[in-house]
Amino acid sequence: MVWNIARQQLLTLRRSGTFIAILATMLLMTALAGFIGWMSHHTIIKVYDETVRLLTAQGKPIPANPFDSKPELALLSNLAIYVPLIGAILATIVGHIAMMEDRASGAARLLFSRPISRSRYVIGKFLGTTIALAGVLAASAVLSTLSLVIVNRNVPAAGEVGRLAVFFGISLVYMLVFALVGMAFAITSRNRSFAIVAALGVWLVLTFVVPQVTSGLRPTTSLNPITDPVSTSQSFFQVTAHARPISVSEQYKRVSASVLQTEPAESPSRSALRVVPILALALLLALGVGGLVARHDYSRGLQ
Amino acid sequence: MIGSTNSRIVVTLARHEYRAAARNRVLAALVLVLVAITTVSVLIGAIDYHSQVADYQRYVAAARSSGVTQTAPLPLQVLSLLRGAFEYLEIIGAIIAIVLGYMSIARERTSNTLMLLQTRPITSMQRALGSALGALAIIATLLLVTGAIAVLCLGVIGGDWLAPPELLKLTLALLATIPYMGAFYCLGVVLTAHARSLSNGLMAALVIWLAVVLIIPQVGDTMDPDNQVPGGLFQSLGVDKPTELKVLAKFTTYEKVRNDLEEASLAKHYERFTFGMTDVKDKYRGFTLTHLLHEKRNDIAWLAAYMLVLGAALHRSYQRQPALPRGGTP
Repeated sequence: MVWNIARQQLLTLRRSGTFIAILATMLLMTALAGFIGWMSHHTIIKVYDETVRLLTAQGKPIPANPFDSKPELALLSNLAIYVPLIGAILATIVGHIAMMEDRASGAARLLFSRPISRSRYVIGKFLGTTIALAGVLAASAVLSTLSLVIVNRNVPAAGEVGRLAVFFGISLVYMLVFALVGMAFAITSRNRSFAIVAALGVWLVLTFVVPQVTSGLRPTTSLNPITDPVSTSQSFFQVTAHARPISVSEQYKRVSASVLQTEPAESPSRSALRVVPILALALLLALGVGGLVARHDYSRGLQ
Repeated sequence: MIGSTNSRIVVTLARHEYRAAARNRVLAALVLVLVAITTVSVLIGAIDYHSQVADYQRYVAAARSSGVTQTAPLPLQVLSLLRGAFEYLEIIGAIIAIVLGYMSIARERTSNTLMLLQTRPITSMQRALGSALGALAIIATLLLVTGAIAVLCLGVIGGDWLAPPELLKLTLALLATIPYMGAFYCLGVVLTAHARSLSNGLMAALVIWLAVVLIIPQVGDTMDPDNQVPGGLFQSLGVDKPTELKVLAKFTTYEKVRNDLEEASLAKHYERFTFGMTDVKDKYRGFTLTHLLHEKRNDIAWLAAYMLVLGAALHRSYQRQPALPRGGTP
């Protein structure tokens, strides 16, 4: 039964135009991430060479090349932005469709007229959602590896493949958080559009508002994989910075930067600690969604 | 006589649109979120400003007590504290406008007022104008509230009340938000009117929002060489401004591609205009208003063009709306 519910959900997603459109955007941007990374890197090296030429002519000291020690995976730094941006919205839509389609079509009402337990139903939904998101990320991983091979003109080493696998694993947990948010609003709301907008509101708060309060990151700054260090000397940030460990989008970006080596490395235990709040939030939301499904009155229609 | 009847119908429809939108809970929730986070953003900026001004005053006092008569001017511009607020208007304001457009069509379809309206001598142009005016009035109200909160926060917490020229620049920046949000409102109407299922129309509009507001500017931003190193590439190389300009002169093609990409996004034009008006960009500080508007004419033209094209599409959607509603799946 669990597997049947998961399969039916995957079928519904395959038929959803919106899911396909966001999936196509996500895959396109993944493919472009390598290219954009390479183009920017290539241009900056030329900018550096030109700067060195000018400074030499002026008799000034030559600074070190800031890109000398950039690892090969750094080309994919934009991926750490596309996952919280496109991936999280895609996950929200997946979660929304998972719960809302059954309510809107009346399939849930029919389903629960049979001796089917709510726990199996919700586990089936979680399974379907996880498979769908894992499929999306697996396709992104293949595209990323291909762009690395094309741009760097060599096959990534085993260590780099491992790092990519860890990055996509963490991304899956991160996306599951938003899928669960989409599910929660799809169960509780009587209006389909309200459910989408409310879930999107949560995404906006977690992605843009919380990082601004805890770290002073403005919304557009949050879109750049390289962010300027923010001053925490102000008394306001000295207080709010205490909440930074639970700012999931910041923790996701920081751990991704560490795994993809786009920022100075940190110890594995510290990186693991950054994943804890994301995992904890996913677990809490999963329990919450389970509880909501168990109590929900599926005989109630939508507005 | 015909003209007055015409405008009376448009005003009646606009009033209906305004009242219905103001009563909507989804919209009210979104507006509250926007106002709340804009306030938080301005508050954070104002607290920062207040402490930096206090530091500056201490520096001036110390300099004077040691006999220094000439001190550096305050390096801060109070209007630039509104950067975060305008970024939120750019991101969330666009979503609110899309939802407004979606609601406009959803209301007609689900309450069957469309059929009733079509039995009356009301043209599609009047309906399009009426609903657009009502939506623009909602947007203007929202901007008025946001602007008032921003001015109050800067004055009360930042300790710096805006002077008339600064108020004028802020008003112009807020006025530019009307065509920006208006374009997204039209997008919401057009896509929802064309979609068989209402929520599909909303989701399609949100996909376009994602591309126009977040993805295209993000790609352009990450292609900027100066954004590749924390603190800026040229600063990390210890290069002065004249040398930086000399270096960049060799990369005009790359910069043109990057700029063209950003120009494709309505959001980037809005951002450039509002950042210019609110002194976010150093290079525009000290410009007269006429000079500033002249510099920003390209962004003004793009904002107007987007609004006109999407406005025409909105009219076409009303013209082509079927007499019988197509289901109106929520």
